[in-house]
Amino acid sequence: MYWEKDVETMDRCALAVLQLGRLNQSLSRARRSAFYGKRFAADAGTSADSSMELSGLEQLTRLPFTTKDDLRNAFPYGFLTVDLQEVIRLHSSSGTTGNPTVVFHTAGDIDQWGNLIARCMYTTGVRKQDVFQNMMGYGLFTGGLGFHYGAEKLGVMTIPIGPGNSKRQIWFLKHLKATVIHILPSYALRLYSFFEELGLDPKKDLHLRIAFIGAEPHSEEIRRKIEDLYGIKVYNSYGLSEMCGPGVAFECECQAGLHVWEDHFYPEIVDPHTGKVLPEGERGELVLTTLTREAMPLIRYRTRDLTRFLPGKCPCGRTHRRIDRITGRSDDMLIVNGVNIFPIQIEKTLMAIPEIGHNYLIEIHKENFMDKLSVKVEINEEVFHGTLAELEKLQGKAVAALRAELGVTPNVKLVEPSSLPVSEGKAQRVYDYRGSEEGGR
Amino acid sequence: MGVQLSVFLENKPGKLEAITKILFRAGINIRGISMASEGEFGVLKVLVNDPGKAHEVLKQQHFTVSERNVVVAIVDDRPGELHDLLLTLSSHKINIEDCYGIVLEEGDKAAIVLDIEAYPQAEKVLIEKGTRLLSDRELYSL
Repeated sequence: MYWEKDVETMDRCALAVLQLGRLNQSLSRARRSAFYGKRFAADAGTSADSSMELSGLEQLTRLPFTTKDDLRNAFPYGFLTVDLQEVIRLHSSSGTTGNPTVVFHTAGDIDQWGNLIARCMYTTGVRKQDVFQNMMGYGLFTGGLGFHYGAEKLGVMTIPIGPGNSKRQIWFLKHLKATVIHILPSYALRLYSFFEELGLDPKKDLHLRIAFIGAEPHSEEIRRKIEDLYGIKVYNSYGLSEMCGPGVAFECECQAGLHVWEDHFYPEIVDPHTGKVLPEGERGELVLTTLTREAMPLIRYRTRDLTRFLPGKCPCGRTHRRIDRITGRSDDMLIVNGVNIFPIQIEKTLMAIPEIGHNYLIEIHKENFMDKLSVKVEINEEVFHGTLAELEKLQGKAVAALRAELGVTPNVKLVEPSSLPVSEGKAQRVYDYRGSEEGGR
Repeated sequence: MGVQLSVFLENKPGKLEAITKILFRAGINIRGISMASEGEFGVLKVLVNDPGKAHEVLKQQHFTVSERNVVVAIVDDRPGELHDLLLTLSSHKINIEDCYGIVLEEGDKAAIVLDIEAYPQAEKVLIEKGTRLLSDRELYSL
């Protein structure tokens, strides 16, 4: 059940020794980059000791954070620690404004990353005899290629189909008897409607048993819904292109939190406002330090992802600490008339109402200088009995449930199935029009 | 007794027209139509000559459709007739979800389409009272 038993089940003390050794290597490597070379030389606290060697992991908290803006400002090569001739790959995050964030990989980085993904897949029970259909985007986005290399390392037949073209996806799933998929959670739900259209039942007509979902924050309810619709096990995957991509943290067979692979990444949870490290179990922002990356080590990188460490040992026997599912991003929190709201709270509430379909949209407008939160939901056709009264009741139920969860009364609009825009990339669920409107409409 | 279709609709210009277009293209004839709206959304009730086919073509176009049983009573087109019919139902504590009338021939007959949850009971009391109810065949060929 373990891909690398020694590391995965390593005693916490031994793991700390390994981490400290690797952290010091990572720091000295980082100093070769223009960005860290300058930062650590300029930093009085650390320049006194030119080797910058730390004698304990807790000393890491003395070092400053690295942010996405730092990466943008150092575009393109400010974080690179090796000659370009050592670099074999570049990935980039989807930046819509300003410089994109570019991340470089050496041959060693790519190999290490593939090994981590193989570990993730093996952990959930994927074996050589499986057939893996990779429905994540290939290209600059790390989701596709990361899993591709990992699956090949594990020795699984990989179908590099990428996202989209739903009927072709289903054709491959069916005729090549795919057993494992990697898919965006929003796309998994959308794809199901194509099965209905084709008169197929994924539970009977496919050989699927495992799905990996990631890249979008999603609720536990969405995971269970996908498990029910397809009759499979669904595992959460976590990663970010700045670290490598997917493969940073992954769920094991227990589906109770995601193990951060601590032999490669050192995780901290900090208060997003003060930057102070929080006690175990408290929710805050995940900060990661790479321990083994060669081309572009990052020290105390602010992920903006909100989570917490789960206390206690995991029954699977792995000693690497677990984080809770990502509940949002410190920068996608919505403030509606002074109340903090995370989109995931809305999703969780809606998915618990059976009469509501899979798709939803959140809109915020200014109306008479007040914020107005609107939620558009599709109704579930299977439970429609044809009366206006039931629709009014459903609307009232959704408003009440959302008010109880959020502390804000939203306007719930029922819309026809398939009328909300769907994308085959990351789903955009929040439309904030407040910046583009003057006072009121 | 017959089947009427209920269609969930957003209350926006062109929505109703989209439905009449689908029905017309499928060669379906509309017998009766009524719309109940809450403001942003509503339910269209439509009585057609071929409910099975109409249901199918609307579903193909991703409309949310549900079939509901309706009782269609024939009354004389004169003051007090509808009142009399409703009194019979209310005296038996039968609740009407929704209802509308169609005048068949001016000054002669009208058809009252009744959407009633307890339709078997409604049919029974109306027949006992001597009200003429349309069979589904009569209804679809109105």
